[in-house]
Amino acid sequence: MEAFQHLLTGFGHALSLEYLAYAFVGCTLGTLVGVLPGLGPAAGTAILIPLTFKLDPTGAIIMLAAIYYGAMYGGTITSVLINVPGEAASVITCIDGHAMAKQGRGGTALGIAAIGSFIGGIVATIALVVVAPPLARLGLLFGPPEFFALMVLGLSLVTGLAGRSLLAALLMTIIGLVLAMIGIDPVRGAPRFTFGVPELYDGVGFIPVVMGLFGISEILLMAESPAREVIKTKLTGLLPSREEWRSSLRAIWRGTGIGFALGLIPGIGSIIPTFMAYIAEKRLSKTPERFGQGAIEGVAAPETANNAYANAALIPFFTLGIPSSPTIAVLMGAFIINGLTPGPFLFQERPDLVWTVIASLFIGNVILLILNLPLVGLWARLLHIPYQYLCTGVLLFCVLGAYSLQQSVFDVWLMIVFGVIGYFFRKLDLPLAPLVLGLILGPFIEKSMRTSLEMSGGDFSIFATRPLCVTLLVAAVVVLAAAALRLVPARVREAESV
Amino acid sequence: MNVRHGLITAGAGLAGLSVMVMAVSVGYGMKDALGPGAGFFSFWLSLIGGLLSVGLLASAWRGTAPGELGASLFPKGDAARRCVAMLAAVVLAALLIEPLGYRLTAAALVAGLLYALEARGHVAIWLFAAAASFGVYHVFMNWLLVPLPGGALGF
Repeated sequence: MEAFQHLLTGFGHALSLEYLAYAFVGCTLGTLVGVLPGLGPAAGTAILIPLTFKLDPTGAIIMLAAIYYGAMYGGTITSVLINVPGEAASVITCIDGHAMAKQGRGGTALGIAAIGSFIGGIVATIALVVVAPPLARLGLLFGPPEFFALMVLGLSLVTGLAGRSLLAALLMTIIGLVLAMIGIDPVRGAPRFTFGVPELYDGVGFIPVVMGLFGISEILLMAESPAREVIKTKLTGLLPSREEWRSSLRAIWRGTGIGFALGLIPGIGSIIPTFMAYIAEKRLSKTPERFGQGAIEGVAAPETANNAYANAALIPFFTLGIPSSPTIAVLMGAFIINGLTPGPFLFQERPDLVWTVIASLFIGNVILLILNLPLVGLWARLLHIPYQYLCTGVLLFCVLGAYSLQQSVFDVWLMIVFGVIGYFFRKLDLPLAPLVLGLILGPFIEKSMRTSLEMSGGDFSIFATRPLCVTLLVAAVVVLAAAALRLVPARVREAESV
Repeated sequence: MNVRHGLITAGAGLAGLSVMVMAVSVGYGMKDALGPGAGFFSFWLSLIGGLLSVGLLASAWRGTAPGELGASLFPKGDAARRCVAMLAAVVLAALLIEPLGYRLTAAALVAGLLYALEARGHVAIWLFAAAASFGVYHVFMNWLLVPLPGGALGF
């Protein structure tokens, strides 16, 4: 009841003209980020952060969150029309979505994806309203050892599910954690690994690193093989037939449940929910041979799961401060830039901001349905932009975005260096997501661990004597063991190899 | 150079870096009066990282690392030219953005890169360059209130 009252207050703020405009702009930019190949949601969100500098914190977060879940909608368009996922979570949609486009049913594929995404997003947001407050209260019971264990679990999930080699993923996590050590020691206040470079006293800038690893590297990879064929398909018949609608509805509800449940687990990534939703539909279907040949459930299920996941993944982020993916980690960076720390205390200290943002999630999903249904033809035209203009524009915005953060050329150089590193890491099949999560969570993990050891006088058994801490750490070990024993399907790990 | 050589090089390089980080971490102190020191976490992380790097090197050496080990690491021909052009453009942008200012740098970057990538249409190229430089400058400075460098020439 209290949550409902907070939500109503949140709607009161979110429906103001100013915040509606931010949500609209965010949704539009997010869809654009999702549509344009070569610009994933992590880099896209990072590049667009400077647009929010002059906004108040609530407005900035509303816009950036809208960019985040807007990209999930936009990624479908490239999956269907050019068989290239606009973002990692749309990989599975390529299978049946592109097949539908080749059959002249591209409009129906995009229509059901938009409707399914809307339903998944709205249901997940309703569940967020119900689940978030008690979870935030639970988070208040967490001490430094529990936070340490929870972040280790989150990192383990990202590591265990990333790429084809656990060894490589672990190495990348360690690199991210070590990079996070650069700067001022959070506990003692002394500089570390700065080697006399004043710009490094604040640490390695997370945003330029993400822009480099995901933006610059992607552009360089795209430059290697720029040719792509855009399917000319009918985009006018957006609504499915009665029969298609009946079979899609079941897929949408199942996709919503799968996406939401998995979104609650920090670190699970966006590929797993879409993959599992697709497999579930195929297994439950009376005619599984249709999958891969243009089955509408093969689009409805993963796209719904994708958006349900995207909204549900905000729950561990808002309530416990654990980012589930590089894109949410960028959102976390935006929170920090605005002087906010996501987690249980945010609900206590800034309920106005939290509930306004949650209310804007509902509004954003409505805006996205409007943007993606009738205007889908407009978005599809963007795919015809020659790659030269696309790459050049993205490159320029990367430079602009990196420079604007602190009016510092050092950030641009940092972006370039990590762009080259990211390019070669991707060529070497070394996954980037664990590095990014390690970089953003490193200071928190170190601070939690060292604070815990100070509490226990240097005795490590503090991590073994607290039940919740033990449970989380055991879960982390189980995840890594499962990955080591190759219990996760190879196809999923390959798809997560970004 | 193929992916296998790249992994071996990366493994060796990261192992060397790990040893350096370990040495520096010891200098920061592993323990102090209040508990773990400033170098504690980084020392153990770099030790684990060093072992993992050696593992990566070994798996690449034996040919058991996943991925297409025989694939070329560097692009060739036109692909290499495009990649080099993009890298050169962004490096030049970093060098020139403050002395020359955003507008001139962006115009030069955009037009130069579009020509290097063999984009068609001189009018389209220069219109795009103008929008990306002067247009974006106007939006950032006047609407978004995000300052961009004016450069020594004042524009």
